[in-house]
This record gives sequence, C-alpha cells and structure tokens, in this order.
Amino acid sequence: MKKFFIVFEYEFMNYLKNKSFVITTILISVIMGAAMFLPNIFDMSEMLGTGDSSDTEQTDDKKDENSEDTGEKDTMLIFDKSGAFVDMSLLESAFSDVKWEKAESADKLKEKVENEEVEAGFIVNSLTSYEYCVHNRNMSDYNTSLFESVLRTMNQMKYCQDNNINYQEIMTAFSPVIEGEVNVLGKDMADNYFYCYFLVIIVFMIIIFYGVMVATSVTQEKSNRSIEVLVTSVDTNSLFFGKVMAGTVAALVQVGIIMVSILGCYQLNRDAWGGALDMLFDIPVEVIVSFAFFGLGGLLFYTFIYGALGALVSKTEDINKASGGVQMIIMVVYFVMLFFLTEVDSIVIKVASFLPISSYSAMFARIAMGNVAIWEIVVSFVILVVSTILVGILGSKIYRMGTLRYGNPIKLSNALKSIKNKD
Amino acid sequence: MKLEVRNITKKFDGNEVLHGVSFEVESGRALGLLGRNGAGKTTTIRIIMDVFRANSGEILLDGKKFEQKKHQIGYLPEERGLYPKKTVIEQLVYLGRIRGVSKAQATANAKKWLKRLEVSEYENRKLETLSKGNQQKVQLASTLVCDPEIVILDEPFSGLDPVNSRILQDVVKELIANNKIVIFSSHQMSYVEEFCEDIAIINKGDVVLSGDLDDIKRTFGENQLVLSATNYNLKELNEIISSKFATVATVTGVNKDELIIRLADGVTRNELLNRLIAQNVEIEHFETYKPSLNDIFVSQVGEENVDNTGKENA
Repeated sequence: MKKFFIVFEYEFMNYLKNKSFVITTILISVIMGAAMFLPNIFDMSEMLGTGDSSDTEQTDDKKDENSEDTGEKDTMLIFDKSGAFVDMSLLESAFSDVKWEKAESADKLKEKVENEEVEAGFIVNSLTSYEYCVHNRNMSDYNTSLFESVLRTMNQMKYCQDNNINYQEIMTAFSPVIEGEVNVLGKDMADNYFYCYFLVIIVFMIIIFYGVMVATSVTQEKSNRSIEVLVTSVDTNSLFFGKVMAGTVAALVQVGIIMVSILGCYQLNRDAWGGALDMLFDIPVEVIVSFAFFGLGGLLFYTFIYGALGALVSKTEDINKASGGVQMIIMVVYFVMLFFLTEVDSIVIKVASFLPISSYSAMFARIAMGNVAIWEIVVSFVILVVSTILVGILGSKIYRMGTLRYGNPIKLSNALKSIKNKD
Repeated sequence: MKLEVRNITKKFDGNEVLHGVSFEVESGRALGLLGRNGAGKTTTIRIIMDVFRANSGEILLDGKKFEQKKHQIGYLPEERGLYPKKTVIEQLVYLGRIRGVSKAQATANAKKWLKRLEVSEYENRKLETLSKGNQQKVQLASTLVCDPEIVILDEPFSGLDPVNSRILQDVVKELIANNKIVIFSSHQMSYVEEFCEDIAIINKGDVVLSGDLDDIKRTFGENQLVLSATNYNLKELNEIISSKFATVATVTGVNKDELIIRLADGVTRNELLNRLIAQNVEIEHFETYKPSLNDIFVSQVGEENVDNTGKENA
C-alpha cells in the first residue's frame, strides 16, 4: 500500500508539474470565469430573457422609437387581393418587430423579396388563402403561423360582423382566463432536465479526455522503455492502480478548479444573469452526491480500461487504434442517454442504470428525474464498484503482460489469452 | 548468500528458448553470463527478475524460493529506459522509494552514486538533455540507488567509452568487495575475465560451460603448451609438429605468435623438448598454455561472429 502511495504521489505530481496541464487549467478557469462576468459588461438581458416587464416594455418602446428612427425594423410586404387588410393594426400587433408596407403587385412583391430589399412578403388571395414569399427560409421562421393566426382572427371577426354577433363577448366566452397552479409532488423534469443534460455531457467529456490521458501515461513508459525497471521494482498492482488513480485525481482536480471558478464567478454575478443559469448550476444536493459517486465510479471504471489499453501498445500514436472499441461504447452510452433523457423511467435507462458501462450517467439521471428505489441505487453502485475493482485487477494483469511486448499493438483477445495461459 | 538457478526452461509461442539453464553465484563473487546474441542470456536474467515466468525449474536464494520483491535487487536491463522528461535526481529518488528506500536515504544514495559515477553536475538536468554515455551512467545509478544485495547488469558496458567503462569496472569491483552478488552479461570477455570468479556460457538455450573461471582455465590448459621457434615460422612449425611429432603432440590452435599443442597421453614435456631440440628447432617459447576466456568462449560456442577482441560482430 505504501508503494501505491509513492507511485500515486509521483504520478500525480507529474500532472501538477506538467506545464500544459497547469496552463490549460488556468486558461479554461479564467476564460470560463470571465464569461460569467459578461452580463456586467454587455447588456445580455434580451438574450437571457431577463429584466422585469416594465423594463422590457420600456426597452421595447425605446427600441420601437429607435427602430423607426433608424429603420432597424424588418420590412415585410403584403399584396392584398382580398381587400381585407384595410386596417393593418392586427398585423402590426402580431408582428411587433416588423414594418408592414403594401406592395403594388404580386410580381413587385416577389421581386423585392428576391432582391432582399424586404424580409419577406405575403400575397393574400382571400381570408383563407395566401402565399408566403421569402428569399431564404431559416429554421426559426414562424411568420406563416403568425400570419395564419391573424387571418383566423380576421375570419372570426368577419363572421361575427356578418351575423351581428359581439366578437368580444364570444372571445371572452370561448377563451376565458384560466388560473392554474402546478403542484409537483415528485420531481419536475422540466426543472431537472437541463442540469442532467449538462452533467451527462460533462461526465462523457471527462471520461473521454482523461481516459486517453491515462492511456498515454501508461504507453509512454513502454515507449521510453522505463517499464522494465518499474515492474521489477514494485508490484504491478501498486504501479497500475497508482498511475490510474493519479490520472483520475488529476482529472478531478482540473475539472474541480474549472467548476469552482465557473460557479464562484456565477454566484458573484447571479443577479446580473437574472438566475438564467440556475437550471444548470443550481443542482439539488442528492443529484450532486449521486453524480459524484457514480461519476467517479464510471471515470475510474473507464480509466482502468484505458490504462490497460495503453499497455497494449508501445507507441502513443497507436492509442486511438487500441481504444477505438471502448470509445465506441462510451459514445453509444452517451447518445442513448441523450436520446432517452426525457424518458428516464423507460426500460432502456433502467437497464443502463445497472450496467457498469453506463450506470455512471443513467443512474444519476434516474435519481434526478425518475422513480428509483434506494435498493436500486445501492445495487447499481455495488455493481459499479465491484466491476471497477475487477477491471482494475484485470488491467494491471494486462499491464504486466504487455511489459515487454513492443511493436504492433497487441489484440485484447490475445492479451486475455496470454493472461489465462500465464505466459 | 547463494543464488541458484536450477534447470529453468522457457518457451515462447511453443518454441523452447531455454532448455534447462543452471548456475549459481555467491555473495562477494561475480558471475559472468556469456553467450552469443540470442543465446538466452537476457531471457535468463528476465526470469531471475520475474519479468518472465519460467515454464519449469526454480530459482533459490540460500536454498529457499527466491522472491524478487522481498530483496533489494539492482537491475540494469538490456532495454535501457528512464523518464526522459524528468530531472535526474527526481527519478532516481522515485526509483529508490518504490524499492522501499526512504526518501531521505534515496536522495542520499542518488547523490552518492551520481558523484561516484562523475555525473553529479547533471542531477537537476532533464535526462533527455544528457549524452548517451551519461544517461547510461544515470541508469546505473538508478540500479544502485536502493543499495542492493544482488546486482544484475545486462550488458552494462555497451555504449560506454573506455573512460566510462573504467569507472564502471571500478564500481563493479567495489560491489564485489562489498559482498554483493553480482551477475552480469557481456560480450566483452576482457571485462568478464577481470572481475568474474564464475562464468556460465549459454549457447542456444543451454549452459555449455559453468563454474569457477580459474578452474575452467586450468582444465582447458591442462596438458597443453604454447610453442614458438626462432628459426621457423608458425606454418613451418605446425607442419613439423604434424608430420614428425604426431605420436607425441597435436596442434590444437594457433595464437598470434604461438602454436598451442596438446601432449599425447604419457608423453612428458622433457620428452617433447628433447625431440624438438634434436629436430634442430630453436625454442623461443615453451610454456604451459593458459587459455584466455575468449579462447574458451570460442571453443564452446563457435568462432563465427566473434572477433579477436572478444566482441561479437553485430
């Protein structure tokens, strides 16, 4: 055990003394921390959707005035064959950021749209038929639905007028103001979804990035031929576990420093952000704790695998070749998690929450958003811990077996055969 | 202490490369492990160091199973390698500590050996900035930093210039004087001859000769003489011996300036000497043959690939 700590200390200090590791940590912490100060430097209220309503109205009013003065509003054309659009007030209230102009003809309208002189245009054939003309349509173009709602309103008003019915009365009767209160007795997925999504991505990135880092540190000992001295000086378990644990702790230190920087700076500027990032950072304690345990277990599980894979090759450039399979598994788990994150009580996530290859993200997602019994959490964690220890022991055997096998990468199946035959 | 290697065999992918290697070495003595490339020296050493596991056979220390991790062993592997990006002192202390030496002791030992090997000025330099010879000396320091009871050096002289070889020779002599068990493999017979009391010659996975070097030399020189004449060159002398003295002596070898001849059973040196004088051979040299290790090695493993300095041609 003493030798494990000596190896751990040496390897861990290697990371801390590594210039690129230190610079990366400081640089990312500073950049991400500085980003948290942005709302104090720039007015991001519109982007963040923050500020109170009076402020917003005031801002909108001012903006309207400014827009009219400077012509910043988008211009849209309408060519009305039906003659219904005498009064443009309905259109203007529905499209608050648009300045409406009437076109002389359908061709003129199309020409101006095509030449990008205007944003878009509507050719109205009747109150139930129109043509929308736009040069390039983007993904968030909701003009047609807005326009259709205007047409619907106009149809309703016309019907009321033709039949001598009070439109306001009908609207009040058909669309009463309903007061409702949502009382979530369990977990509110809407609240928890974003930080779960965020944590799934974080743990995925940590495993991929630091797993390769650990594999590289193992391979380097083969490429610089120091491995023979090491395995004859200290038992392989101390050596392998020390190396992998040092890489894992270094990963946690780096991520921890970056997260503390982000969270600390966010707390300082929380008011300026209007709490906009609370959905990411204001994570309940039980989720943080489960993330810490399962995330750490998953990270160790995979770093042991990466360490063993690092021992199969003797050149650092071969690491990707050797770790392709495990990377594929991590990617599949990642995409399955993202795909099923809105259905955490589905059978897929339930199964995933017990498998050591995926429980690191599936279980905390279930804890955050789904129904999970305490025994399930305990069983899943025990499976993860036992699997991690077994993978660690197997990894250290592979590491030992791969000691003097230079040249082409060793196939995992051959490595396992060699271990079985005790070569 | 006595380290015994008993009848070890090793197969790689079904191909047996060691066929029952045995030898022994005691404290205060050095064993030279000799053999041509691929003979099995490094494999034998790696089995002693538990890098490889033998398929059969055993290694004993004072009659008990040798457990490598329970003893301080200084091992200089054939594949040299340390951490190129780390400072010299940092890695020496680390390698001392993982072998169970305290940090303070490891630091003191590291500084002692760096000084002894005349590289102490590089202790705070990164290893990769040192010349190959100095890196080799740092590697040797790393071998000795744990103050080992057993020292195993695989080709320790390769890559060293004559001055550094001299320093290493002195260090090895000190280790022997300090009652360590020293095993080293080398192609350079002169070094082996200088401080090895015991040798084991391995050829194609078999120990073809082992034991006390003086005894081996005596046995090899037994009943053999070296002979040269002032009035005949070696070729003429060889012809005379072969044609006229066939019943009393046979030529077994030719050195640079002398013939090596073996007396027939029952024939005395005086008899041969008298017959040579009678044959009008003017004797220049007539004395007991003392074979060099190189001669013994060549006689055991064949002459090809071995030049006259005892080094193998690569």
